[in-house]
Amino acid sequence: MNNRISIGGRIADVAGPGGWRRTLIYQRDLLRELVLREMRMQYKHSFMGFAWSLLNPLMHLLVFYFIFRVVLTLDMQRFSSHVFIGLLSWEWLQGGLTQAANAITGNRELVRRPGFNLAILPIVTNITRMMDFIFSLPVLMVILLIEHAHFGPRLLLLPFLMALQFLLILGFSYLVASTNVLFRDTQHLLAVILRLFFFLTPIFYEASMLPDRYGSLYRINPMVAMVEAYRAVLMGDRPLNWGSLLWPALLAIFMCVTGYAIFRRVNYRFVEEL
Amino acid sequence: MKDAIVVEGLGKKFYHFSKERPATVLEMLARGLPGLRAERVFWGLRDINFRIAPGQIVGMIGENGAGKSTLLQLLGGVGRADEGKVEVNGRIGGFLDLKAGLRPDLTGRENIYISGVISGLTRREVDERFEAIVDFAEIGEFIESPLRTYSTGMQMRLAFAVAAHTSPDILLIDEVLAVGDEAFRRKCFDRLEKFKEEGVTIVIVSHQVNQVRELCDEVLWLHNGHLVAHGDPEMVVGQYATEMSATKKRRLRSVVTAEEDADDPTFRAKKKVHRFGTQEMEITDVLLRDETGALVQSLPAGQPLTIEVAYQAPKPITNPIFNVVITRDRQVCCAVNTNGETESMALSGNGRFTLEFDRLDLVKGLYHVDVGIHAPDWSHAYDYHWHLYPLQITADGSGHKGVLRPPFRWRLDPAQEL
Repeated sequence: MNNRISIGGRIADVAGPGGWRRTLIYQRDLLRELVLREMRMQYKHSFMGFAWSLLNPLMHLLVFYFIFRVVLTLDMQRFSSHVFIGLLSWEWLQGGLTQAANAITGNRELVRRPGFNLAILPIVTNITRMMDFIFSLPVLMVILLIEHAHFGPRLLLLPFLMALQFLLILGFSYLVASTNVLFRDTQHLLAVILRLFFFLTPIFYEASMLPDRYGSLYRINPMVAMVEAYRAVLMGDRPLNWGSLLWPALLAIFMCVTGYAIFRRVNYRFVEEL
Repeated sequence: MKDAIVVEGLGKKFYHFSKERPATVLEMLARGLPGLRAERVFWGLRDINFRIAPGQIVGMIGENGAGKSTLLQLLGGVGRADEGKVEVNGRIGGFLDLKAGLRPDLTGRENIYISGVISGLTRREVDERFEAIVDFAEIGEFIESPLRTYSTGMQMRLAFAVAAHTSPDILLIDEVLAVGDEAFRRKCFDRLEKFKEEGVTIVIVSHQVNQVRELCDEVLWLHNGHLVAHGDPEMVVGQYATEMSATKKRRLRSVVTAEEDADDPTFRAKKKVHRFGTQEMEITDVLLRDETGALVQSLPAGQPLTIEVAYQAPKPITNPIFNVVITRDRQVCCAVNTNGETESMALSGNGRFTLEFDRLDLVKGLYHVDVGIHAPDWSHAYDYHWHLYPLQITADGSGHKGVLRPPFRWRLDPAQEL
């Protein structure tokens, strides 16, 4: 059990000499190329190119508009802003986790590559989906403006919220990526769980519409606090409740630590299982 | 100098799971945990020990499933050993899967960047080498076309070109030189030679024994997860080819005489093998004589030498090749054989082949006379005696370096008036 080439050492092994500066530059370049690869792949197949990543949430919005404004006539102020914010952050989570499930199983050749640090792959899928989120922001801004939003300095908190969500997704990504190597139906199970939590997240409704007695149970879903915080920051229709972000933050840290630990533990088995 | 690769007592377990093993969460829930345990455990690699000095090209041979790829992966830090240790000093580059990370829908240019960065180059380093890579790959104007429009050969050339422009200390190569046309293969070999000159240690897995013989400085032979032999390419490859041929053609049992542990039936005991062959024809004795006919083990430089090879052929053998090689420190100094030298012949029973050197102009030192009888197409050895017959060459005066020591004298012409 004394294999000198540890996983930690693999980064340095491939990056080679040149000190920490080169290692940093190398890691940045590696991340950039892998993310670019994913994004190019995503858009190269379709004629419309990356317009699809914008159209997708917009069409979702249209569906919800039809159901909840035309059919069910739900009474909600600035409905489109509400729903679009919820949709964008949810799609980042859903896409990130779904893609993370394939991060290892879909990169068999990289698993066999000497010196390649696999821990970077869930980061890559996560960033790829975050880019979709970022590209959708201008569209979101237009919708917000149409529905009379007033942007204030609180908008500066947006990157902070995104960082939090990034960590949240990353932690779960490590878990999902490792599990999917050992049990290939993880992705199907994940789809079911994600569908459930989609409805348990206040995307086309408000958390306040729920009876109070379900409150604490309902808030186990970290996305409840996240979506509410996004709305506070982007729409300014409520104060930002810092306390409510404590749970997502703790969960994110906990999952990053344990998720990564699990990932490293089963890391050696990837090559045998694939 | 520090060894590039040190492997000590390396072992790796393989697990055979029963078919019942749950592959999904659902099955696991349905059946419970017991099915998770492996049904059978066996060692895919065991007791592997070797050291490789920097700048060597090492070939790895063995039949399918012998553990070559597993060993290569462990050297590359992929997967984990169950016992022993692997020490690799330097930055590892791998040609294990040249196409790793390539995407058919992206252009050649995009793929060069991806592949380069995955191989350990920064973007700037790829920028600097970009022209050279495209030149080497002979891709030309296709560089902006999607990779899927390339022929297989072009794709491999591109992949190899990127790998060829990285700067590793240790290079692991798995059976990739079998691709491409002859000209490109030549180019790849040249590049490997250049890597070697730069001091890069190279480990190659190959099924093409002639390639290994030509390219490598030493050879590892794996059989059923054990290291059977490690040494001189001529010796190990010859042994391997013979063994394979014996197994394949169900010839007479192959005899390998080991210096130590001769009674140990396991393959792994054959650490110091000096003799191998199918024994269809056997070398019964090898005698070295000087000009007086006396048996010698030591000979002054420049003297005649007669080598007598006594053979025994139980059944008639047509056109065997007698082969005599004089080596020093694994360097071949002189190699002669009867291939094309003699009339067609069919040998049986006992006999004797004699080789006469009119003079042996070798420098002072300890040599070995290796003697073999091979099949007419060199496919395998009937019998090969390796490093069994030492020959000490003695000489006075100077001229003890290099290989040759032809008769020589010095003449001094002091300053003369013209």
